[in-house]
Amino acid sequence: MTVSEFAEKSGFAVFCRGEDRAVESGYCGDFLSNIISRAPDSCCWLTVMNNVNVAAVATLIDCACIVLCEGTEPDEAFYKKAQELKLWVLGANENVFEACKKVVKLCNV
Amino acid sequence: MQCIRLEYDVDGENFSSAGNASESVKRTLKQMGVAPGSVRRVAIAMYEGEINMVIHAHGGKAVVEIYPERVDIYLKDSGPGIENIELAMKAGYSTATESIRSLGFGAGMGLPNMKKYSDEMRIDSTVGVGTTVFLRVNFE
Ligand SMILES: Nc1ncnc2c1ncn2[C@@H]1O[C@H](COP(=O)(O)OP(=O)(O)O)[C@@H](O)[C@H]1O
Ligand SMILES: [Mg+2]
Repeated sequence: MTVSEFAEKSGFAVFCRGEDRAVESGYCGDFLSNIISRAPDSCCWLTVMNNVNVAAVATLIDCACIVLCEGTEPDEAFYKKAQELKLWVLGANENVFEACKKVVKLCNV
Repeated sequence: MQCIRLEYDVDGENFSSAGNASESVKRTLKQMGVAPGSVRRVAIAMYEGEINMVIHAHGGKAVVEIYPERVDIYLKDSGPGIENIELAMKAGYSTATESIRSLGFGAGMGLPNMKKYSDEMRIDSTVGVGTTVFLRVNFE
């Protein structure tokens, strides 16, 4: 499933839109060292971290989209950087586990 | 064989630009058609090194040399230096403060990741003078 379809079907908030592409896997984590070395390509990355470094790491791992969980919203610097890097940033009110279940169900990953 | 040489000033005061040098190198390698696996290894190793300069050493300089078969990376800072390199290399060891950890850094996996994703790594460090890290990644 593509990120735009996923965004619509999941009901997650859309903070930032990037180029549309398929979600092929998933990864949950907040420590950037773990994410950068372990997250698979084209994944949906679920985190509660909210700072500009999330955007930099998302580009480096080439993830399909970021899902900020537990009602996290990107701050100003994060939002600006995400736009600049053309990243998809979604927002879920659910916790990471519940949001993850939606990714599994909808994207079949 | 001629190499492509890239130089970056890594700003130690500005967290929002942390990772820019690694991102630029990644983009360059991708455009040059380097295999994705190799690009990934360079990106990981260099990002960790770049972040270390930002969070532990008030920034520094990165020099990247791209050869047809490999990348050499030199990360040089004038920070506090590393007293015990063997200890610093241990997975999970970190002197990062709570506020740095709250940004998602400080897992103590930076140096181990750099080691894991590079083919050669050298650290020269003098306490009170600074640290230079050399990383070589051979393309697959
Ligand atoms: N460039 C550097 N200058 C000074 N100290 C450093 C530098 N790089 C690493 N260190 C020291 O080595 C430790 C381990 O580094 P690392 O494995 O990257 O973990 P982390 O950055 O998460 O603390 C750091 O906590 C720090 O004490
Ligand atoms: Mg580190």
